[in-house]
Amino acid sequence: MAAPLELFCWKGDYGLPSVDIDCLTVLAYAKFAGAPLKVHKITNPWRSPTGTLPALKTREEGSISQPSKIIIHLRKQKYNADYDLSAKEGADTLAFVSLLEEKLLPALVYTLWIDSKNYVDVTRGWYAENIPFPLNFLLPNRMHSQQLEKLRLVRGDAVLEPGEQLEKELCRDAFECMTLLSQRLGSQKFFFGESPSSLDAYVFAHLAPLLKIKLPNGKLQQHLNSLNNLQQYCSNILDLYFPSDAREAPGHKIHVQPHSGDFDNEPHKRRNQILSVLFAVGAMLGYAIFTGIVKIKRERPQLNNSSHHVEDEDDED
Amino acid sequence: MSLAAEAFVSQIAAAEPWPENATLYQPLKEDQILLSDSASSLAVQTFLRMCGLPVLVSCRANAEYMSPSGKVPFIHVGNQVVSELGPIVQFTKAKGHALSDGLDDVQRAEMKAYMELVNNMLLTAELYIQWCDDYTATEISRPRYSNPYSWPLNHVLAYQKQWEIRRKMNAIGWSGKNLEQVYEDVSQCCQALSQRLGTQPYFFNKQPTELDALVFGHLFTILTTQLTSDELAEKVKSYSNLLSFCHRIEQTYFKEHEREGQFGSSRHSKSSLP
Repeated sequence: MAAPLELFCWKGDYGLPSVDIDCLTVLAYAKFAGAPLKVHKITNPWRSPTGTLPALKTREEGSISQPSKIIIHLRKQKYNADYDLSAKEGADTLAFVSLLEEKLLPALVYTLWIDSKNYVDVTRGWYAENIPFPLNFLLPNRMHSQQLEKLRLVRGDAVLEPGEQLEKELCRDAFECMTLLSQRLGSQKFFFGESPSSLDAYVFAHLAPLLKIKLPNGKLQQHLNSLNNLQQYCSNILDLYFPSDAREAPGHKIHVQPHSGDFDNEPHKRRNQILSVLFAVGAMLGYAIFTGIVKIKRERPQLNNSSHHVEDEDDED
Repeated sequence: MSLAAEAFVSQIAAAEPWPENATLYQPLKEDQILLSDSASSLAVQTFLRMCGLPVLVSCRANAEYMSPSGKVPFIHVGNQVVSELGPIVQFTKAKGHALSDGLDDVQRAEMKAYMELVNNMLLTAELYIQWCDDYTATEISRPRYSNPYSWPLNHVLAYQKQWEIRRKMNAIGWSGKNLEQVYEDVSQCCQALSQRLGTQPYFFNKQPTELDALVFGHLFTILTTQLTSDELAEKVKSYSNLLSFCHRIEQTYFKEHEREGQFGSSRHSKSSLP
């Protein structure tokens, strides 16, 4: 087959292969369909070919960023996890994905990005720690306002007031959605039988962050934990398809050790910081000496230099 | 509504029977209402007819602003005002009228999922075609939307709405699509609905549910509304079981009540199915 496709996605943490929902969808689908992807786990979205993550770099069609388009492209390359589905099951897939996007995703976005406690303690902290300097000052806030605006537009409100009422409405829809998914899944291993499909990728991607990321304000998490079959389902997929990530120690505030296979800039970050500090100090010192704020006294043995030095000083004065 | 207020409203709702003067408000039918609003309004009307609840349809130019959530249609029942199909279904359920009680858990999950499919794909496609396609927006949507207002308010309101919808399309990732892809999405959605319906009379066999009302509302409106091109209607027409589904519901719930037809005739919509 052709050279493997390259996928750029957010780094993983908390026992997940990636912390971003769209990235998780694409990663899970690729595993289910057996697509050989060269995965670059990065923390700087500006380094991706399209400027956002996830991004699939193809040779023929440029780079694609939307998860649904990426899945369509993989299908065209004959990596199809939905091959065995009947027409009705295909229709059900479309319907349940719409249910997820309309009912569960707004609540997820609210919990991770808009709820003040969660955002400040967990989400912003994670992104600020992991995005390289100096973007870590800029991007988390920008992502926060983007998500807020997106939620407002999707709901069609004129103005969005983050608060208890909005949270209750969103949570109510989300609880209902999770209960419906649980009822549809029943005691099956995957939604359509024994092998996973694209619907499983979407459901997994939306539920796994709730399961793994410990949030201070965790109403959605509590509801998910009460639905045993969904919890089992997510853990199952993690163990089967992402065993290396699942084995990492979960818990927040991990400082990632640079792995040999990683493509991010962690090893150079410290060097860049030290170099830039040295440069700044050197520049300040040079300026100080140059303008005479700081005078360097030369000792007598350097007699020739001192006479030059005096002339220099006269020139400057 | 917050949860506490909703519980309170449900209790009050349950206490009173459905009044005779319940009213449904929508924008002006002849000159103002657009495809997406017309579809939503028809869905609610169909649902109420399926429940056997009488409702008067009142057309107001400022219906959108009267609505508590900013969306049409909304119903005024007793001293409560409820907008959009979802809350209206819950409201009628609190009054003791429900269509989906006979469904088991899996079927209810599927029903909700398919309703979201219609909202997610079909309604969004309708909005896209109305507001993001320049030709349709200039010829139809903007003139109709701002019809009751005089200059310069009509321009301001029309453009404001257009920008809002375009920003929404941007946020959900539809702005990169062209018209062909949107028609393709509509086709996919119709195919999914057609697969689910199969040869049954309604989506859940013998009894109609709110899903049937919603699908009928959208499909019938698409089939009977004249846009700048017929391609949208053609996409729906290619699924014969959906066409016969619409015919059946029209015959059962609308023709037997009124001879002249609920929909009347207007420049914008044709009076009955082709």
